[in-house]
Amino acid sequence: MSLFLGPMHHFIPGHKDLTDKKEILHVSPSKEVYIPLAAGANMDLEVLVQEGDKVEIGTKLAVTRSGFYVPIYSSVSGFYRGLKKRMSASLKPIDHMVIELSEVQNKIQALKPLDYVSASHEECVEQVKQAGIVGLGGAGFPAYIKYQKTDGMDCVIINAVECEPYITADYAHTMQNVSRLVLGCEILKKMANVANVYIAIKKTHPDWIQAVESQLQSKDGISVRPVPDVYPMGWERVLVREILHKEYDRLPGEAGAIISNASTAMAVADAFEDGDAIYQKTVTVSGDGIKEPHNIVCPVGTPVSELIEACQGYTSDSVRLIAGGPMMGKTIVNDQFVVDRATNAITVLKHVPDDEIACLRCGRCSDHCPSGLQPVRIAMAVKMGNADEMEKRGALSCIECGLCTYVCPSHIDVTENVRKAKRIVSLKKKKA
Amino acid sequence: MKFNFHVSPSLRGHLTTQKIMAELTLGLLLLFCLSCYYYATTYGSAYLLHVILLLVSSLVTMVICESIFAKIYKKNPIEYLKTSFGWVTSIILTLMVPATMTCYALIVATIFAIVFGKLLFGGFGQNIFNPAGVGRAVIFAAFTGAAANGITTGATPTTTLANSFNWLPATSEALDSFLNQFGGFGNLALGFYDGALGETFTIAILLIGVWFAVRKIIDWRVPVVYLGSIFIMTAIVALLSGIDAYHGIPGFIWYPCLHMVTGGIAFGAVFMLTDPVTSPTSAQGRVIFALGAAIITVLLRLKANLPEGCLYSILLMNMFTPMIENALDGKQLDIKKKAYVISLCLGIIGLAITFYASSSIEPVTSVEPSSNTAYITQEAGL
Repeated sequence: MSLFLGPMHHFIPGHKDLTDKKEILHVSPSKEVYIPLAAGANMDLEVLVQEGDKVEIGTKLAVTRSGFYVPIYSSVSGFYRGLKKRMSASLKPIDHMVIELSEVQNKIQALKPLDYVSASHEECVEQVKQAGIVGLGGAGFPAYIKYQKTDGMDCVIINAVECEPYITADYAHTMQNVSRLVLGCEILKKMANVANVYIAIKKTHPDWIQAVESQLQSKDGISVRPVPDVYPMGWERVLVREILHKEYDRLPGEAGAIISNASTAMAVADAFEDGDAIYQKTVTVSGDGIKEPHNIVCPVGTPVSELIEACQGYTSDSVRLIAGGPMMGKTIVNDQFVVDRATNAITVLKHVPDDEIACLRCGRCSDHCPSGLQPVRIAMAVKMGNADEMEKRGALSCIECGLCTYVCPSHIDVTENVRKAKRIVSLKKKKA
Repeated sequence: MKFNFHVSPSLRGHLTTQKIMAELTLGLLLLFCLSCYYYATTYGSAYLLHVILLLVSSLVTMVICESIFAKIYKKNPIEYLKTSFGWVTSIILTLMVPATMTCYALIVATIFAIVFGKLLFGGFGQNIFNPAGVGRAVIFAAFTGAAANGITTGATPTTTLANSFNWLPATSEALDSFLNQFGGFGNLALGFYDGALGETFTIAILLIGVWFAVRKIIDWRVPVVYLGSIFIMTAIVALLSGIDAYHGIPGFIWYPCLHMVTGGIAFGAVFMLTDPVTSPTSAQGRVIFALGAAIITVLLRLKANLPEGCLYSILLMNMFTPMIENALDGKQLDIKKKAYVISLCLGIIGLAITFYASSSIEPVTSVEPSSNTAYITQEAGL
C-alpha cells in the first residue's frame, strides 16, 4: 500500500477447510464418459478412432488439425460410440467423444517414459507435447509452448497458490505424492534451462510448505516461496510482482519467468516416469450449495452430475453451479457438462438475488485491481458508449479476475462492465 | 432444481454501501452528542433543545424532499430513502451550523442541499458538489444574520483569529491574548468553545477519523494529505514571517497546531473531503484532490475576507474532480509518473502561496482583546 496506489489485491475467505483435510473420493463414471473434442479454444480436431473401436486408458483418440499440436487420449477403457453435441464448461455446445465403459479397466502407456537427465532439451519438450499436457491452472493452454524458447529466462515459478476460494484440488493432488511434484519441478527446471525454481505456496498452508520443503533437501535451486493469502495471488502478474518484484507488459517471459501450475508439474512428471497422459483429474466439489464437499478423483469426461451425486447432492433448490472457482468460473445452467483436463473445481453456491444500488464512487475497484485498472472509469466509458475511452482506460488488460465485483459495496457487477468494454474494443479493432 | 445464471464472479464481499453509511452515521451522531453535551453544560437545556430541534428539522425536511422525488420517479419512497442516504447530508449540514442558527434557515439550506445539491443531479452517486457543502454555502450567502431568538453565543476563535489577528499572531503575547479568550490550546482541541455544532472538538473528530480509516469507511489518504499539507504550509508561513516561540515551543510547531485546532478543517478533512461521490475515484486522484484543497484552504484562511476556507476549498475542488479523473485515466502503474508530476506542481504552487501570504500579511504582535466579540458569530463554521 502506498500513497499513490491501492493494495492491488484483497483477502478473500478461502473456506479451504471444507475439503482440504477430507478423504479423497474416487468416482468412476456409471456408463459413459464424454471427452470434449477441444484443445483450449481450438475445436479443429481430427478423430483417430472409428465408431465401435475398443480403446484403453491411454489410447490416442484425437489430435488438433490446426493451431498448436495437442493430442487427446482416452481416460477409460471401453468402446468409442461416436460424437455427441453437449453443453461444455465454456458455455458453448461442442462435440464430445462418447466412450462406453467396459467392465475391466486397462491402462496402456500413452507414450514411452523418458529419463529427463539424459534426454536433450528438445526431447523433453517433445515428451510434454506428445503427452498433450495443457496448463492445469484453468486456461488450458498447451504447456510445452512456454518451454520451446528459453533464452533470457531466469527462473520457473511453480504456481501452487490456489487463490480462488474453495479450491483445494492442487493441495490434495500434490500432497498425495510430494516427490512427484518435486520431480516435475526438476524436469521443468531442465526444460527451461534455468538455475532457480520457486514453488509459490500460500503462507496459510504451513503443512504443504513443510511437506514440499522436506523433499527439497538435496535439490539445488528449487525452493518454496511462501506468499500472502490474498486474491489473485495465483495470477502470473501478481506472482512475478510478489516473488521477483518486477512488472512486465504482456508475458511473464519479459520478466525472465516461466510460470506453470503445480498440477501441470505433476502431469509432466507422470509423463516422464510412467508415460501417462492426463487421464484422471482431482476436482474440488465445494461451496455452500453442496451437502458434502469433497475432493474427487475421476476420469476426464465424467459428467458433473455424477460428481454431485457422490457429494450427496445440493443443499438448495436454487443454486449457482460454477465450472471452476467462484471468482473466475462460469455458471453453467445444467449439470450435464463434464470434467475436462483443465477442470480443477466445481463450485456450488446458494443463489442470492442481486441487490445492486447506485455507485458511490468509492474507488475500491480501482484500489484493488491487480492490473492497476480503474474499473469504475471503464464502466463510465461503457455508459457513454465511448470505445476510444474504453481502450485508453486499459480495458483490454483486464483478466476478469472478478475482484472489482467482489469488493464493490454497492453490489454492482463491475467486472461485467469491463467485460462489455473488452468486447466493444476488440470488435472495433476487428473492424479497423 | 434451478441452476441460475450469473456473470462471474459469483461471490461478493461482506462490506456493503449500507454498512458503510450506517457506520458513518454512527460517527456523526457521536459527534452530535458531544456537541449537545457542550451546549447543555455551558448554556443550559434551552440550548440543548434548540440544537436537537435543528437536527430534527433538517432530517424532516430531507425526508419530505426525497419522498417527493421518489414519488416523481414512481419509486417506493421508503426504498428510495434507504439507498439515497440523505440523512448523512442532513447530519453533516446540521453539524456545520452554529447553535445560533434558526431552524428556518437550516430548513431552507437543507432543501438546497438535498434538492439542488443532490437530487437534481440524478440522486445519490451523481452529484458534483458535496450536498452538505452546498447547503452551508447557501447559509453563508443568504442567512449570515439569521440568529435564533434568545440563543446567543460568544465570538468564535476562527472569527477572532481572522478579524483581530489576521490569522497570524506573531508573538507569545499576541497568542496569549488570543488563547486567554478561549481557554488555551487544550480547550480549543477539546472543542470547549462556540462555533459550528460539530466541528470544534478536534480530538474527537480525529479519533473518529482514525476509526473510519481503519474500518475503511473513508480513504486515509484524503485527511492525511489534506491536514499534513496544511500543517507543512502553515509551518513554512511561520518560519518565513518569523513567528516567536511560545513558552519554548518554536513557531513552526505551535502555529500549525493552532490551525489544526481552530475552525473546521479537521471536520472537513474527515467528513466532507472524504465524501467518495464528489472526490476522484483513484488513490492518485484523491491525493491530488486533497492537496489542492489544502492549498485553497490556506490561501482562503490567510488572504480572503472569509474567516474560514475549508468549505469553499471543498466546493472548488469538487469542481476539479472530473478534470483530475480525466487527467489520470489509464492504467494506474503507467500514469503514476503523471500523478507525481501533478502533485509536485501543486506543491510548488502551495509553496509560492506560503511565500506570498507570509510576505503580504502584517503579523499581529500585540492586540487588545477586541470589543467586537459578538460580531458575526454566524460566520463561524467551515
